[in-house]
Amino acid sequence: MSLLEVDDLRVHFHTDDGIVKAVDGVSYRVERGQALGIVGESGSGKSVSSLTVMGLTRFFKSARISGSIRFDGKELLTASDEEMRRIRGNEIAMIFQDPLSSLHPFYRIGKQLVEAIQSHRDVSRAQALDRAVEMLGLVGIPEPRKRVDAYPHEFSGGMRQRVMIAMALANDPKLLIADEPTTALDVTVQAQILDLIQRLQSELDTAIVMITHDLGVVAEVTDEIAVMYAGEIVEHASKDTIFASPEHPYTWGLLRSIPRLDLPRGEELVPISGRPPSLINTPGGCYFHPRCPYVREAHRVTHPGLDPVPDDAEHTVRCLLASDTRRRLWRELQEGKDPEQARTAVGIDAEEVAP
Amino acid sequence: MTRTPKRVAMLAALLALVLFVAACGSSSSDDKGGSVKSSAGQKIPQGKQGGELTVLSAGDVDYMDPGQMYYTFGYMIGYSVNRALYSFKPDNAEKPVPDIAASDPQISADKKTITIKIKQGIKFSPPVNREITTKDIKYAMERVFSANVPNPYATGYFGTIQGAPKAPAKGIPDISGIQTPDDQTLVIKLTQPKAATVAAALVMPLTMPVPPEYAKKFDAKNPSTYNQNVVFTGPYMVKNDASGKLTGWKPAKSIELVRNPNWDKSTDYRPAYLDKIHIDEGNADATVASRRILNGSALVQGDGAPPAPVLKQAATRFKNQLVLVPAGGTRYVAMNTKIKPFDNVNVRKAVVAIFDRNAMRLTRGGPIVGDLAWRYIPPGIPGFDEAGGLNVPDDPKFDFLKNPAGDPAVAKKYMLAAKQDGVPVTADGKYAGKEKLLMIGTNADPGKKSAQVAENQFEKLGFNLNFRIVTQDALYTKFCGVPKANVAICPNVGFFKDFVDPESFINPTFNGEAILPANNTNWPQLDDKAINKAIDDAAILAPGAERSKAFAKIDQDITLLAPAVPWLWDKTPLIESKDVQGVADNYSTVWHLSFTSLK
Amino acid sequence: MATYIVRRLLWMIVLLLVISFLTFLIFQKLPSADPVSLRAGRNATPELRASIKHTFGLDKPFFEQYRIYLAKLVPFDFHKGFKPPDFGYSYQNNVSVKSQILDRLPATAGLSLGGVVVWLLIGIPVGIISAIRRGKLSDRLAMGGALVAISAPVYWLGLVMLYLFSNDIGRIKIFEGAGSYPNTGSLFSDPFSVAPSLFLPWIVLATAFAAIYARFLRGNLLEVMAEDYIRTARAKGLRERTVIFRHGVRSAITPIVTILGLDLGILLGGAILTETVFNIPGIGRLAFDSIQKSDLPTVQGTVIMGAFFIIALNLIVDVLYAFLDPRVRY
Repeated sequence: MSLLEVDDLRVHFHTDDGIVKAVDGVSYRVERGQALGIVGESGSGKSVSSLTVMGLTRFFKSARISGSIRFDGKELLTASDEEMRRIRGNEIAMIFQDPLSSLHPFYRIGKQLVEAIQSHRDVSRAQALDRAVEMLGLVGIPEPRKRVDAYPHEFSGGMRQRVMIAMALANDPKLLIADEPTTALDVTVQAQILDLIQRLQSELDTAIVMITHDLGVVAEVTDEIAVMYAGEIVEHASKDTIFASPEHPYTWGLLRSIPRLDLPRGEELVPISGRPPSLINTPGGCYFHPRCPYVREAHRVTHPGLDPVPDDAEHTVRCLLASDTRRRLWRELQEGKDPEQARTAVGIDAEEVAP
Repeated sequence: MTRTPKRVAMLAALLALVLFVAACGSSSSDDKGGSVKSSAGQKIPQGKQGGELTVLSAGDVDYMDPGQMYYTFGYMIGYSVNRALYSFKPDNAEKPVPDIAASDPQISADKKTITIKIKQGIKFSPPVNREITTKDIKYAMERVFSANVPNPYATGYFGTIQGAPKAPAKGIPDISGIQTPDDQTLVIKLTQPKAATVAAALVMPLTMPVPPEYAKKFDAKNPSTYNQNVVFTGPYMVKNDASGKLTGWKPAKSIELVRNPNWDKSTDYRPAYLDKIHIDEGNADATVASRRILNGSALVQGDGAPPAPVLKQAATRFKNQLVLVPAGGTRYVAMNTKIKPFDNVNVRKAVVAIFDRNAMRLTRGGPIVGDLAWRYIPPGIPGFDEAGGLNVPDDPKFDFLKNPAGDPAVAKKYMLAAKQDGVPVTADGKYAGKEKLLMIGTNADPGKKSAQVAENQFEKLGFNLNFRIVTQDALYTKFCGVPKANVAICPNVGFFKDFVDPESFINPTFNGEAILPANNTNWPQLDDKAINKAIDDAAILAPGAERSKAFAKIDQDITLLAPAVPWLWDKTPLIESKDVQGVADNYSTVWHLSFTSLK
Repeated sequence: MATYIVRRLLWMIVLLLVISFLTFLIFQKLPSADPVSLRAGRNATPELRASIKHTFGLDKPFFEQYRIYLAKLVPFDFHKGFKPPDFGYSYQNNVSVKSQILDRLPATAGLSLGGVVVWLLIGIPVGIISAIRRGKLSDRLAMGGALVAISAPVYWLGLVMLYLFSNDIGRIKIFEGAGSYPNTGSLFSDPFSVAPSLFLPWIVLATAFAAIYARFLRGNLLEVMAEDYIRTARAKGLRERTVIFRHGVRSAITPIVTILGLDLGILLGGAILTETVFNIPGIGRLAFDSIQKSDLPTVQGTVIMGAFFIIALNLIVDVLYAFLDPRVRY
């Protein structure tokens, strides 16, 4: 039994403009002590799926949730509000993108940590404070006994994120969800935080779900990576496989858009053309087809399932092209061709891309 | 929020219902027949001793100091706590009776000397405590000529006393014309034969005695602080402390009147039934105050008449709690005879002819508030009957006054006559001039409504008006009372008696020589040589038939010059609670606190 | 913080000076009525008017008058050191303006403070509940009612209250003393007899304010609840009640402190309409009466008093804000 089992999760928001299908059939597993990275653009559904795991989506009146989320064997979607509350911040913890706005500006961080501890443990304030100081030390805050009385705005960005991590880990959660934890930080600080997360993961044996749009972030920390697009997972494989032999055109776009240190300067960045689709009126067929350089007529009509590739059951891809075709395309791209050239080289009919 | 309108409508309906219920109680077609009491010619009823009365007023007394007292409400209090030389009993507002005086004033043959004897045994209240002498009256009359005790009546009515300073004096002047040969005798010597007027003015508060040895220290200050330390001679007094400071007077909040321990009932004609009187001030909303009086217990009104709707209710449902007092005043719409086109008498007559005086009266509450006026001397003042009484005579020269609803034909006739005089008038009798004539009205109801009706009347004859509304005080002190302001029409003016004498009525209002640069009361600025002379000649006549007849003729002559549109001889409505036996004071047109009792 | 307060206090003095000058200017140049004529009475001779004008000091040049006024007002004299400020004497009845204002202050204070308590007791819970139950019936009713309450003119509401509940003329007499403020004592010296007569005025005064505060708090709270730290609080597994109150309301309520201070400052300058309808002898009524009568010294006194309260309360709430929001540093 995996620690976290998400099966066909759907989260739809019923708004005045229509039904927003934020998460539309997502499944994955996280094992104890393992790290999963969920990568995607804004609007891909990566945050919503994790918020739903935490039970935070219930607070949105317009949300309709279906599917299954099992944590440690327990079905979370049918759990009561009180049961979810006991799990949040205790067995599953979450840290967020902007640590300044995510901490209450009026309360000292010590108090906010103590609050997190005391809501799940029957301990005295002094004991909770001790634990808070211990956690602050653990995350690398110097002079934690003094700093515990400070207000959030008195810390730098990186320090604040450490505080968030300390707060999240204070109750020894089995699973830590990190939603864009480094996006708001400087690059150097980013590295420190990622190091910290990695270290804590191995020391405390916590499972991690790392949500980000930045492939560079997941390259270090994760064991597996799931790429999401328009509310679905479009590719899921081990980290090494994703970087070595990705098989989804979107993943290729992501990889190719990373600025590279080992290429000459002056090379143009390669974006993925087009914009993320509307989640209310999703494109027919394959959701990615409007932006896919390798689209064919059938892709506009048929919706691909998430299927494993022939020689690796752990590597699943949601694409109508044959695995063989995809691998050839990837080789062409790696040799330096642009998508048009790759398409011609591989021999897919160059049809007009639908707008 | 898109779905609230329905619920808001429900709430609004609920509130409307509440308001309807509240208003409902006031409507009632309960007409038991019979008319409302008038206080003219009333009999003084016997009353029950004891009890405490509360007076509800909007404003405060202007002054407790009898030397500075000016407004009617001040008189209501002033005449219950202090005694003047002569006062009016409630059943006769024409002839005063001796109060501190022992008998009527003796006037010399040359009309230049007045001799008065005063009673014995009248004492000042604590802390002065001693018996009064004529020296106290001399001091009272002298101090009002001081700059520290400003009083317009000083030079106005007593300026003819020998030795009286023309301008306010520094300190208290010693007036040689006021003599005290002994403690009970007062002799007043005049420079002109005006003894009749001066004698009539002896009812005024400035003859109320003031002890010099006690008051001098207060009068030394400018302005005098005697106002906060007055001592009393009446049946009641304002509560004070051992030094004389009036602790019972909280300015603009309340006044406590208690019995004066030194008052000797045998020296006074007042019964003084009540034990205590509490004056509650600041009741600015006249409707609320009136309702409280009518529905409550042991309440009477102080200043401020009940507004027209409450008055109507009082006249039907609370008839026994309402008394109408002839106010002794005339309301009129003054036209500035110095501004074109009102400098032409035909134009003015046309205006009087077209005016709907009924509509004017309706703004104050209709027939119940008084009689339609057509002249200037009001009922109750000698000369009223001689000048023609209530009804306009059939004589053709009064044709412009005959129809109280307005007579367009007569108006047209006079406008066309004005056209002959050169005034720009159209063929059908309307004013053809294009200029805007300045009219200043008051912002206080019902005066505002009256002014608006007046505006309509002028517009009927084609006049274009610049109608501005200002506060009551500004109206008198900045506009209508200031000739330089060149106001063409003053619709809210009126003159109310100071005492019962026609000269005090006619002289300041229509004598050309009485026009002042400020605080002017000759609002039409009438300056007719013949009338001025007639007034001066009649002023020296002794009170009696001859004087009354002379002023009656002057009144008619003034009316024929149409300097204004007279429209109301007021009756002041007074209301009381059910359990109060109120006696009205016909002189000051308020409840008489020394005669009122609880049932 | 100390320098900040000192700086603000100095500004207060500057502002009061400016206000006193402006009031002086307005009432000298554009008086509603002529105080000399009012005092002099009907048919006053020019000599009498001149004498009165001299007594009032109105015959001196404008700046000389202002200088004299200021010298009396400022509580400091170069020769004598500190002295109590002298606000002059009323043109109407020669009573000292300062004594009149101090005499009326308890009534206004009692009305204002009581009103504040009532409207906070009503407005804050309503605002919170409306935000929590946003969109539900209770929210719509509350906000609809608030709209009506804000729209109802104070004077009208006061009269309706009197006609319904007043002890002497009301339809439903609810308790002794409702609707008639006693002329002796104040809420502070004699609470049990004065308080019943303030119930109706408190309700009338509180109605519009409670509605405004409820709407304001509701809006604030809704905004705050969408903030990131609320999400964190929930993510920590705190009880929803703790999230709403300790995290949500605590943030939403700080702007209320600011407007509360301002509103209280304005009310202490005199709630004219409420005082008039219920005949409460407060500063508002005093100001109104004295403006009508062109009683300049009293008008000045009430204006300066009102300005003082507004400025002082402004300062207090700003300082208070630093304690409520640790990010604010002076």
